[in-house]
Amino acid sequence: MPDSAVRIDHLSKRFRVYHQRNTTLKQSLIDRRRGRFEEFWAVRDVSVEVPVGASLGIIGENGSGKSTLLKCVAGILVQDKGEIAVIGRLASLLEVGAGFHPDFTGRENIYLNGAILGLPRRYITSILDTIVEFAELEQFIDNPVKTYSSGMYTRLGFAIAVNLDPDILLVDEVLAVGDEAFQRRCMERINAIRAEGRTLVFVSHALESVRSVCDRCLWMDHGVARMTGGVDAVISAYLTEVNRREAKELEVTDTAAIDTSPGRAGVRITSIEVAGPDGPGTVLNTGDPLTLSVGYEAPGPLSGCRFSVTFLRPDGAPILTVSTDDLETGDGALPRRGDVRLALPGVPFLEGVYRVTVDLTEISTGQHFKRLERVRPFRVHSADRHEVGMALLGHEWELPKVTSRAARS
Amino acid sequence: MASTELLPERSLPQRPRAPHAGPIAGRVELLLELVRRDVKSRYRGSVLGVAWTLLNPLIFMLVYSLVFGKFLRVQYPGHSATVFILSGLLAWTFFSQALIMATSSIVANAALVRKVAFPWAMLSVSSVIAALVNYVISLVLLVPFMLLSHKGVGPPLLAVPVLVGITFALSLGLGLMLAAGNVYLRDLQYLVNLGTLIWFYVTPIIYPFSLVQSKFSGHGFEGQAAQAVLYLNPMTWVVLGFQDVFVFDRWPQHWHGLGYSLVASLISIWLGLRVFRRLRRRFAEEV
Repeated sequence: MPDSAVRIDHLSKRFRVYHQRNTTLKQSLIDRRRGRFEEFWAVRDVSVEVPVGASLGIIGENGSGKSTLLKCVAGILVQDKGEIAVIGRLASLLEVGAGFHPDFTGRENIYLNGAILGLPRRYITSILDTIVEFAELEQFIDNPVKTYSSGMYTRLGFAIAVNLDPDILLVDEVLAVGDEAFQRRCMERINAIRAEGRTLVFVSHALESVRSVCDRCLWMDHGVARMTGGVDAVISAYLTEVNRREAKELEVTDTAAIDTSPGRAGVRITSIEVAGPDGPGTVLNTGDPLTLSVGYEAPGPLSGCRFSVTFLRPDGAPILTVSTDDLETGDGALPRRGDVRLALPGVPFLEGVYRVTVDLTEISTGQHFKRLERVRPFRVHSADRHEVGMALLGHEWELPKVTSRAARS
Repeated sequence: MASTELLPERSLPQRPRAPHAGPIAGRVELLLELVRRDVKSRYRGSVLGVAWTLLNPLIFMLVYSLVFGKFLRVQYPGHSATVFILSGLLAWTFFSQALIMATSSIVANAALVRKVAFPWAMLSVSSVIAALVNYVISLVLLVPFMLLSHKGVGPPLLAVPVLVGITFALSLGLGLMLAAGNVYLRDLQYLVNLGTLIWFYVTPIIYPFSLVQSKFSGHGFEGQAAQAVLYLNPMTWVVLGFQDVFVFDRWPQHWHGLGYSLVASLISIWLGLRVFRRLRRRFAEEV
């Protein structure tokens, strides 16, 4: 078994939550004590080992104690119980650009930040150009950083930090900032650090990032280590749990009424229902048949109208819009009330909460009779699938055959 | 740990490793950068810049010598009231600025303390050094007065580093305690402002020490209490030392007093480090 670069042994950390914090003398004198506070264990009895050269992801919901744990390892917080043993030089990247002085130029801040992170001035001088280049700030390096955009600020901070060259790198959620291209570059850089045999502890909400850089994973849940193990197993267990909790919430909100008030010409949408293979419900698995029923009601029979449905991704981006224009027959005539059904033979979406936008439009004018946006959330599970991404697309593999000749050579 | 055995063998680092300064050298490097920051940021954006370091004590000196020397007719020993007041005032400005800046040093860098583990005490040390830098600059003010008042610059000037050292240690120790305490109790900042103001008056800067000695001897409890405070104040002996050197061009006369100040400053450093070390455990949560 390889040596541990980081060993956390029965670690607990307690915070004080002040009801009314006494930071002024008057209050202290009145209360005779430094405020009333409750103690709250942010991390309880967590043990985990990170072998040299391994990479541990820490996942969990907000407030689960991930960052607290990382700050204890970094030495920013001091634990109340337990031990932390670290072998090797440790650098933590909890916030890029922490300690930048707004009035100072980028160049001055490189030296200042470098010194805070433990780099000798001579060394910083030698890599200054590399840092500036990585941060893409050649033109602005002698301007005060208060004039920088947040992207420039982040790039500069990260460019300094990646030159720390530690044995153990602690990273906390810093990649959440910055644009796509920069994030990719940061991930590349982190992977390069990994490839050099450095140890990594990585806290993130971005499960895909965790999956791509970590081999092991710790799932923190309300301060407790819920599960430790291979990254895929832990992430899928975590997702299952998150889904279970979310489905519970969805069931509650599901009954929340949609807007059934009359729209143009008194047309109303009276119901929107999602049904899976087992009947109405809001939780499905990828590949399940899905039926969406939309109930409507109008003062009289309708003609020349069109129904359309848009499926929306969890972030609100549309995936697919379909409309009754697809139907080659008919003139868009509908009775004054009824249910319109749309069936998908198999839901192609992967993991997430999806919503629909439904509208009923008059074809001749293009005006909506009624439109309901981003309603009827439903959850799609794909925890037990290997595919990763947004949607399942039909595919087929073809592999070269191992011929006897190829096997010999 | 089955999964770790499956790890592919990783190549050894190819590029040369970044050198990291050792614990001592690293602190020195950090300190230099922080001092540079503290000194620079003080003057950035101000038109007169460094001139303020000179202007401030100069104006105060003029005010004090006018009020006390001319209006109240305090008799200052030596050549002039100005050089007498200035020699103590500059040292005092160093001391009080160091205390005030050190007190807020941790709280003012909250964002940094919350996110980066580094020897946080260096933040306090650097504010004291920044005050020292200002002091050294302000010493320029004394040069014309000294050239006017005596023939030249004598060997007693060699005592100045010792006096500065005592002031430095005294303010650093107190500064560390106050900086750490201020994280938990923000009132300290205001108390320090008030405290240094009172302390200023119980230090013989704008009045000669002999005045207190003669006026209050045998004047009952009040007089003795006032004298006791002055004698117990470690800054008294330091300021007297500065006056000896700059006003009279002689070695400091009160060796016992200075010895006491030295001991006080060493205790201050020792206590300051202890208090800081104890309180720093929860800085990141409380700051």
